[in-house]
Amino acid sequence: MRVLDWIVLVASLVSIIAYGLYRARGSNTVDRYLLAGKSMPWYAMALSIMATQASAITFISTTGQSYVDGMRFVQFYFGLPLAMIVIAAVVVPVFHHAQVYTAYEYLEKRFDAKTRALGSLIFLAQRGLSAGLTIYAPALVLSVIMGWPERTTTICVGATVVTYTMLGGIKAVTWSDVQQMGIILGGLIISLITVFVLLPSQVGFSDAVYLAGAAGRLNAVTTNFDWNDRFNIWSGFFGGTFLFLSYFGCDQSQVQRYLTGKSIAESRLSLLFNAVAKIPMQFFILFIGAMVFVFYLFVQPPVIFQQAELKRISTSGNFAPLAEQYQQAFDRRRQAALALVEAHHRVDPVAEEQQKAAYRAAQKDIDRTRAATAKLVEATGGEKGFSDTNYIFLSFVTKYLPSGIVGLVIAVILAATMSASSGEINSLATVSVIDIYQRYVKRDGSDHHYLVASRWATLFWGAYAVAFAGYAHRLGSLIVAVNKVGSLFYGSLLGCFVLAFAFPRVRGTATFIGMLVGEAVILLTANYTDISWLWYNGIGCIVVMATALLITALQDGAASATPGKPLPR
Amino acid sequence: MHPRDVPDDPPPFLGTWRRVYIGILIYLFVLVTGFYLFTLAYR
Repeated sequence: MRVLDWIVLVASLVSIIAYGLYRARGSNTVDRYLLAGKSMPWYAMALSIMATQASAITFISTTGQSYVDGMRFVQFYFGLPLAMIVIAAVVVPVFHHAQVYTAYEYLEKRFDAKTRALGSLIFLAQRGLSAGLTIYAPALVLSVIMGWPERTTTICVGATVVTYTMLGGIKAVTWSDVQQMGIILGGLIISLITVFVLLPSQVGFSDAVYLAGAAGRLNAVTTNFDWNDRFNIWSGFFGGTFLFLSYFGCDQSQVQRYLTGKSIAESRLSLLFNAVAKIPMQFFILFIGAMVFVFYLFVQPPVIFQQAELKRISTSGNFAPLAEQYQQAFDRRRQAALALVEAHHRVDPVAEEQQKAAYRAAQKDIDRTRAATAKLVEATGGEKGFSDTNYIFLSFVTKYLPSGIVGLVIAVILAATMSASSGEINSLATVSVIDIYQRYVKRDGSDHHYLVASRWATLFWGAYAVAFAGYAHRLGSLIVAVNKVGSLFYGSLLGCFVLAFAFPRVRGTATFIGMLVGEAVILLTANYTDISWLWYNGIGCIVVMATALLITALQDGAASATPGKPLPR
Repeated sequence: MHPRDVPDDPPPFLGTWRRVYIGILIYLFVLVTGFYLFTLAYR
């Protein structure tokens, strides 16, 4: 990074923190610290929800995903508007009228203390794991690309997040998120414009789109059904709806955002803004990845983008033939791409089909060579299941983007890390204090006591996340599986909340047993089947509901057989 | 120690929340159809 990059990076990060803390003045009661005194406007909540959801690794991976697999990842979000409508219509008014700080506090009002405790513990386990990885994953990528030490990066990011979250509470988190989202969107737009500027002069915008499409990189909708395929229209609508219902309806890191609204209408609008804006935003990010693919049609990319691994295997005797094959395939693809554009311009369908076939054949050779190189990485002691997807976009940024823009893109990545991490730490602290400490340790403390406890809990979870990030490199494939880990838990929580909202006859014990059975079934499904993790939420939810409804029916039958006996809890 | 309840207002546009939800469903349908046509056009 050059001096201008450092200036842009530091100025962006300092302004985020200063603005967040400035807007968070007066967070001196528990209500203001955890729920902003229910004073937030819809647009701040909307951008905060969006920023919390978009972690750095999502942003880095999404562009890389599009580079290697096309845009079909966008289908993952098709269920989001459906989930948002259900949550806005049903969940938001219930949570607001219940006058709760956390989603799990509502479970005790509706069911009993043990169901609340189980819900809280599931959240703390799942989100606690995620908090460390949220900080670690971008630090890993930045260490490989920029040469920054992992430990220093995680400590700096963690300390920054903890400082403004601990001092300013949810208001600081939300207003920082607003600015972080601005930087993220600005950085993305500038990145896309820069990619187009860097394309060869004979390749215009429509040509770039045409070449990306011909290589299968614009496959936004795929209609084939496959249980094992994560991204098609069916898994997007059905699996995605369940996943987002779980995430936005049962995960405190999201629930807490819309509970800060000054009215139910403001909370609903914040969610519905996401229903409208999220899919186009993901489409835009994926489109950037597809355009980076087009850029690399004319500038030879490395055979794998993870430079440290590339350097390591380059001494292997098996690498030289692969590098030779790759060079030849790249030359053929570049020639075919230019010939294809030319045939397209002069409207020559026969030549166009011929060049398209040559272009696709060369692309297949490149894909095969990259796969063989990834296998070589594994065979020579590298990570199992090696993938360089997370390194593609940042490699492009650091090598080809002009001074200043590199700093901005790094600021985008750190902003995304901080927004996701602050939301997680803030919600973990809230659940720890409200659902555990206040409920089981000290029930009669003053408002000031719980305010201080919330600040300490924030510090604890921040330190935990940084400490966990320090050991995350030993977890290897767990980083890849972080979404899968989330899906292992969300289904049970979703089933519990669906029972709470839609089945008034179901009681606490039936729900509690249902959650345990649901969790067991999800774990068995994950361990003994090839079903994609996107379906776990739906499966878990249905099992929890079926079990609880069956137990309720048996309880009702037993109660009606014994006149005068009340329904068991 | 409980947060206060908040009012349930109508939406600032389209009159009722039901109409807003229907609007979003129509938007989703148009968006997915648009993406499908985009995929077909550049396949």
